[in-house]
Amino acid sequence: MMKTTNRLTQWVGKTESFKKLSTLPLSLVLNFVLIVPFAIMIFLSFTRWEPLSGYDWWHAPIAGIPRFVEAFGDARLLWALIRTTIFVAVVLPVEFLLGLGMALLFLGDFRGKKGFTSVILYPMMMPWVVVGLGFYLMFQFFGPVNLLLLRPLLGEGAVIDWFTNPVLAFVVVIIADVWQWTPLMFLIIYAGLAAVPKRLIEAAEVLGASSVRILRTVRLPLIKSLVVVALIIRALEAFKVFDIVYIMTGGGPGVNSTEVISLYVYNLAIVYHNTSYACAVSLLIMIAIALVTRLAIRPLEVRAE
Amino acid sequence: MSESKEKQVSRRTYLQVAGGTIAGLVVGGALGYLAKPTELVTEVTTVTRSLTETVTVTGTAPPPPPALPGAGVSERALAGAKQLVASGAVPAGATIKLLHVAGSKNNFEPFFADWEANTGTKVEVVTLGGEPDVYTKAFAEATAKTGAFDIITIFSTWKGDAIESGLAKDLEDYYRKYNPEYGSQYPDTTPIEPLGDYTTMYKGRHYAVDLDADVFTLTYRKDLLANPDYASQFKSKFGYDLNVPDTWEQVKDVSKFFTELDLKASDGEKVYGGYFYADAGWAAFTTWLCIFVSKGGILFSPTDMKAMINTQEGIDATQVMADLAPYMHPDALSMDWASLYKRYTEGKAVLTMAWPSLIKWAQDPETSQVVDKSGSALAPGSKVTVGGKEILLKAANNPVNWIGIVSSFSKYPELGYLFWQWITSPVVGADSVSRVGIMDIFRECWFRPPYRETFEKAYTPQFLDVFADCIAHSFPDLMIKGSSEYLDKLTKNVNAACVKAKTARAAMDDTAKDWEAITDRLGRDAQLDAWKSFIPLYPSDVQDVWKAKGYLS
Repeated sequence: MMKTTNRLTQWVGKTESFKKLSTLPLSLVLNFVLIVPFAIMIFLSFTRWEPLSGYDWWHAPIAGIPRFVEAFGDARLLWALIRTTIFVAVVLPVEFLLGLGMALLFLGDFRGKKGFTSVILYPMMMPWVVVGLGFYLMFQFFGPVNLLLLRPLLGEGAVIDWFTNPVLAFVVVIIADVWQWTPLMFLIIYAGLAAVPKRLIEAAEVLGASSVRILRTVRLPLIKSLVVVALIIRALEAFKVFDIVYIMTGGGPGVNSTEVISLYVYNLAIVYHNTSYACAVSLLIMIAIALVTRLAIRPLEVRAE
Repeated sequence: MSESKEKQVSRRTYLQVAGGTIAGLVVGGALGYLAKPTELVTEVTTVTRSLTETVTVTGTAPPPPPALPGAGVSERALAGAKQLVASGAVPAGATIKLLHVAGSKNNFEPFFADWEANTGTKVEVVTLGGEPDVYTKAFAEATAKTGAFDIITIFSTWKGDAIESGLAKDLEDYYRKYNPEYGSQYPDTTPIEPLGDYTTMYKGRHYAVDLDADVFTLTYRKDLLANPDYASQFKSKFGYDLNVPDTWEQVKDVSKFFTELDLKASDGEKVYGGYFYADAGWAAFTTWLCIFVSKGGILFSPTDMKAMINTQEGIDATQVMADLAPYMHPDALSMDWASLYKRYTEGKAVLTMAWPSLIKWAQDPETSQVVDKSGSALAPGSKVTVGGKEILLKAANNPVNWIGIVSSFSKYPELGYLFWQWITSPVVGADSVSRVGIMDIFRECWFRPPYRETFEKAYTPQFLDVFADCIAHSFPDLMIKGSSEYLDKLTKNVNAACVKAKTARAAMDDTAKDWEAITDRLGRDAQLDAWKSFIPLYPSDVQDVWKAKGYLS
C-alpha cells in the first residue's frame, strides 16, 4: 500500500501526463466553447444560407469558393476595410503618443498623483456603449461641444453639425476611441518606464545626455517589447471597433460613410440575413489579421531566439 | 544564429501556418457540419413542413372548430387560458416572456397583474434598446431556436422575414378556435381594414395580431399657423395664404418661413419650420415614401419587379427632402425617431409628420409644452397630371405598424396567443392603447361611443376625425421578404441626398442598383408575386395614377 502511494506520488510529481491530465477538463470546455462556433462559422462560409432560406443551416447547399471570390469583388467590403485601416492607423499613434506623454508626466512626483492616476483610468473601465452614447450626445447639434465650447469661443454661428458630415462623424468616432483607450497605453507604458533601472538613467545624465536623448536611446529601447505588445493588443481591438460606431453613426451619415468592418459584417448577418456570406467575410478578415499579427510579433520572436 | 537559419525557421513556420490554416478550414468545415444539433432535425423539419402545408392548403381550409364560448374577445381569451391551465397543458404559474422595445412598456405592463389574477399565469416583459435591437434579437432567435421569448412585438415590415425564417408561428388555428373578431363580419369590433388584414396576414393565413395603426399624419402648431402677424408676413413673402400645407412644395415654403423667422422655444433654442424623418438609422424612408407615392411613383414594376425608384418621381421626392433639409431641425438628419417626439413637444418644430402616438405625447402635460396647440391633417400631397387634368394626389403610408407574433419555439404558444388576444381586445385594448406609448388606435369601435371619449382625451377629437381620413388614403409599408434590406438601402441613400453627400439622382440610381441585386438574390419571381399582392392595397386614386402613367395595366 505504502509502495503504491509512493509510486503515485512520484508519478504525480514528475510525469508530464498528470500535468496534462489535470488541465484536460478546462481544455475540453475551452476548446468546445471556441471550436464549435468557429467550426460552424467555417462550415457556413462555404455554403449559401440565410435564415430566410426556409431550411436549417445544416441543410445548406455547399457553395464552395465562390463566396470568397464574391468578397474580393465587394466594393462595400473594401471600403469598410479601408475605413477600418484608417481608423486603426489614426487611433494607434495618437493613443500611443498621448499615452507616452502622460506616462512621462507621471514619472515625476507631484501632489495628487495617485488620485489623478485613478481618474485617468476611468474611461477604460466604461462600457463601449456608454462611451458611444456619451460622445453621441455631446457632439449633437445642440450638444455641449457646440453650445459650451464652440459657440462661446468662436461666436453664435460657429456650431457644427458633426453627424451629418461623413468626415466629421468619423472624427468624432476617433475622438471617442482615443478618449477611452489612451489610458490603456498610458498604463502599459508607465509601468514599463517605471521599471527602467534608475542607474541607467543616472548614468546617461552623468554623461550629459538630454531628456529627449535619454528617452530615445535608453527608455524607449528598454520598453520596446512592451510597447509592441501594447500596440498589437490595441490594434486588434481597434480593428474590431463596433459599439461606438453603431451607437454614434450607425455607419452613416448617408450610405455607409463611417461603416467599419465589424458593422458591415453585422449588417450582412443581421440586417440582410446574408449569414453565410458574413461568415466568409469574417473568415477572410480573421486570416488577414492573423497574418498581419504574425508579422507584427516577428521582431519579438527573433529577439527571444 | 545566422540570418539564414532565422529565415529557414521563419519559412517553416509560415508553411506550418499556411498548411494549418487550410487543414483547419477543411476540418473546421467538417466539424461545423457535424456540430448540427441532430436532436433538433426531426422537430425542425416538422416546422418547415407545416409552413409548406400552410401555403398549399390555402383555400381548402378545414371547417373551423367551434369557437370557445364567451361574450367577447377578451372573455374568450381568458376562458381559453384558464382551460389550458385546468387541462394541464400549461402549468399554473407559467410565465410568458414578451420581447418588446424599451421605453414603451406602458401599453402592456400595467395589465399584467389583471392577466395573472384571471388566469394564474404570468407575463414578463423583456425590453431591448431600440427597434434595431429587437430586430437583432428576434432574428437571432429565429436561428438559435432557444424559446427564450414566447411572444414578440415586431414591425409589420419584418413580418415576411419573421415568417420565412420560421420565427412567427402560424396562428390560423388559434384564430378559428378563439375568434379575435377580425374581418368585415365583425363591424363593431374588427381592426380597421384593410390595415388589420395586411399587417397580420401572409399568403392568406394569420401570423400576427394587430397592435397598432400607424398611418402618418401631418402634425402642426395651430397657434403659430393661425397667428395673424405671421400670416401677413408669409403672404407678402410667398404670395399666398399661410395655411396647413396641402402640397410638399407648400411644406417647403412654410418650413422656410418659420425657420427664417428665428423664433425661440421656452429654453431659448431655435424653433425650426419642419422636422421630417431623414436620418440614416432607419426612418428616412418613411417621409420619402409619402412624397414618392403622392407623386405617382411605384416602388417596383408589377410586370418584372424592376426597381422603379429611380424614375422621375423618385428623384423628385428625394429632391424635395434635400430641399427641405436646411429648414428642418438638425436632429432630423442624425437622431432617431424619438427625437422628433421630443423636439416637437419642446416646441422646436412647426410642421412634422409622424405616427399617431405623437399627438398622445403632445397632449401629455407631463412632457409636452405644446398641449392643445397641435392640429392634425392628412399628409401633404403633390400635383400630378392624369389625362391632361391636374389633380392633387395625397397618400399617407402606414410605416412600421407594430404587430404581435408568437414564437414558433415558444413552450406555451397557445397561451402566448391568448395573451395577445386579451391585451388587444376591444375592451382591454382600449385602456392599453389609449395610454401614452407607441401603440395606436387600431379598432373601428374605438372611434365610436362608448370608447370614443377615452380616445378623444388621448388624441384630441380633431385628430380622431382626421385619422379616419388618413387611413382611407393610406398604403402599406413594404412587407415582402427582404423588406428590411430594401428599406435600409433606401433610407441610407435618402439621407445621403439630404446631407448633400449625393445628388438626388445618384442616390436613387444607387438604390435601384442595390434593390435589383437584392431581388435577384431572393428570387425575382417570388418577390414579384409578393409585391403584386400588395398593389391592390394602395388607394384607388394612386392606382388610377399608376394606370394613367402606364405603370399598371
